[in-house]
Amino acid sequence: MTRFETSRFGHDDEDVVVIVGSGAGGGTLANELCRNGIKVVVLEAGPHLTGEDYVNDEWEAFGQMAWTDPRTASGSWRIAKDFPNLPAWIVKAVGGTTTHCAGACPRFKPHEFHARTTYGDLEGASLLDWPITLSELEPYYDRAEIKMGVSHRHGRPPLPANNNYKVFAGGAAELGYTKVSTGPYATNAEPYDGRPATVQDGFNFQGDKNGSKWSTLVAELPKAALTGNLDLRPDSHVAQILHDGRGRATGVLYTDRNGTLRRQRAAVVCVAGNSIETPRLLLLSASGLFPDGLANSSGQVGRNYMRHTTATAWGQFDKPVNMHRGETMAGVIADESRLDTDRGFTGGYYMETIALGPAFFAKFVAPGDWGPDLTAIVDGYRNTAGMWIIGEDMPQADNRITLSPDVTDAHGLPVADVHVDDHPNDVAMRRHGLGRGTAIYKAVGATRTIETPPYPSTHNLGTSRMSERPGDGVVDRYGRAHDVPNLFVSDGSQFTTGAAANPTLTIVALAVRQAEFIVRELNRTLV
Amino acid sequence: MSALLSAAAHRTLLAVLRRAYPHDTFPVGPYQRVVDAVLTAAAADPRLLAQLVQGLADLDRLRDLPFADLDADTAGAVLRSVQDTPFFRSVIDIAVVKLYDDHEVWDLLGYEGPSFDKGGYVDRGFADLDWLPEPQIEEASA
Repeated sequence: MTRFETSRFGHDDEDVVVIVGSGAGGGTLANELCRNGIKVVVLEAGPHLTGEDYVNDEWEAFGQMAWTDPRTASGSWRIAKDFPNLPAWIVKAVGGTTTHCAGACPRFKPHEFHARTTYGDLEGASLLDWPITLSELEPYYDRAEIKMGVSHRHGRPPLPANNNYKVFAGGAAELGYTKVSTGPYATNAEPYDGRPATVQDGFNFQGDKNGSKWSTLVAELPKAALTGNLDLRPDSHVAQILHDGRGRATGVLYTDRNGTLRRQRAAVVCVAGNSIETPRLLLLSASGLFPDGLANSSGQVGRNYMRHTTATAWGQFDKPVNMHRGETMAGVIADESRLDTDRGFTGGYYMETIALGPAFFAKFVAPGDWGPDLTAIVDGYRNTAGMWIIGEDMPQADNRITLSPDVTDAHGLPVADVHVDDHPNDVAMRRHGLGRGTAIYKAVGATRTIETPPYPSTHNLGTSRMSERPGDGVVDRYGRAHDVPNLFVSDGSQFTTGAAANPTLTIVALAVRQAEFIVRELNRTLV
Repeated sequence: MSALLSAAAHRTLLAVLRRAYPHDTFPVGPYQRVVDAVLTAAAADPRLLAQLVQGLADLDRLRDLPFADLDADTAGAVLRSVQDTPFFRSVIDIAVVKLYDDHEVWDLLGYEGPSFDKGGYVDRGFADLDWLPEPQIEEASA
């Protein structure tokens, strides 16, 4: 996988679509638009890394790929204590966080599009129904799954059981779970779409040197480049979205790799910077016409930040597991994702296998701990199995992204503050998930179980949510800003609620659908 | 590099690391490499260097014996008494990353590390666990 070349369009080209960010939303949208003959400029803040650049080393890869520009964290969530300057674990490189995500691809369930109606008026939560339904999104889920080569779907074979999965599935069977499988994952069990089968190298989080995992880096963007309609500009950090006197977006200001400030004109601007950077950019784009930030007449930009309710359960045994061999994540238990309020909380959760090397294991298993309790856990590394718990968290109006009043980045722009207070529903779900996760390992003989609090968030959602009524959210059913007719939000920031599912598949499906809308409307209502 | 700290402070830092991260199977080498990493960081960070100079000297004054000569229980109690100080947190933040990123430590813990250049683990035991039955890989209802 080498670095692909793209076309070059002029800074004053007014008919291009500018996309900010090249991850699941931005990269997919770019390909879909390019294939329909639309010229696209993708501005990516990070470098253009490739499979040859990636390294099989957790900390070195983290330093290479992660968004480590400063951010701050506040609120009662554990992250504010454990990782105050790293609230999110996402990627700053071409391909965005698709290069880090393991590729689990469950769909939303029907009721998860109607969270407010289904769960009711939960105190403290700002639940809202999506303006779209599962049946509307199903054709796009199909297209997304085929595009991504999702295992277990559309004739794609399942991944084989690895060591970590054998423990996970064995315990699940003992507890009577039936929705237990090695997928769906967007990783090739056999060659597909010009990319090879996995070699089970165990470095899926570190970019996947083999290119067996779908990402916009290895699939969407090189395909877009072949059309001649893509101008991909890495190392380009967007500082502001510009608009005219009528309140329509006219382009963006960005700093290029040399630190030079550039202006790119555009017919349409699509923001896909992940759910922290997207609202930050809208807030930074405040003007006389939009004093509270672009597209923020509702006051909803940055609010309802969600990150999934997560935790990790580990089991240690008196026999070897060697979880580091094979796919980082390749196992799903879906039984607890059901709608069932008898468990003491609303919403559901998945359990998914996860493996870390000793470097990350020691750092994250009990953040901040030291001493013989920690080292006894680390000594059991070889005999350790792990699972991640991921469930629907409750949106709250004051869980939000704001601009820091006192910290700025290398460009002098205020950084994002990420404020989260756990909702009691999140706490109850996490407790339940850890109880079931550790029970799974005990059922197959674990001599020790360990409960690990959340990692910095990789699933960042909400903050520019979709709503039927303009006053309730930031964008409409196609991701178009209620306030600015040629401005779109194209990433997980659109999510009205978070559902239990890993978000990438839904982000891709929404991007395919949004692209259709832009193609249809470009010469009618957008310009 | 080690001229940044006195020989006594150097010895105390090594003892702090061995008491904070005790592993029966680890030789001294990995801990010494963490000392080197701490000193490298301190060479570029006057604030960290000041914390080290002061913090290590303080540790040696908390009991009648220098810290490095304390038994494990006493040393543990001493470290707990300073565990919230910036000095100790700075050392811990570096140590937990460097110690477990050490390839000798990886070998001792049974971690085989980079695999892509060896063809991954597909032919090297990714599914060799044999103490549990072969599980289902598709949902029972599917």
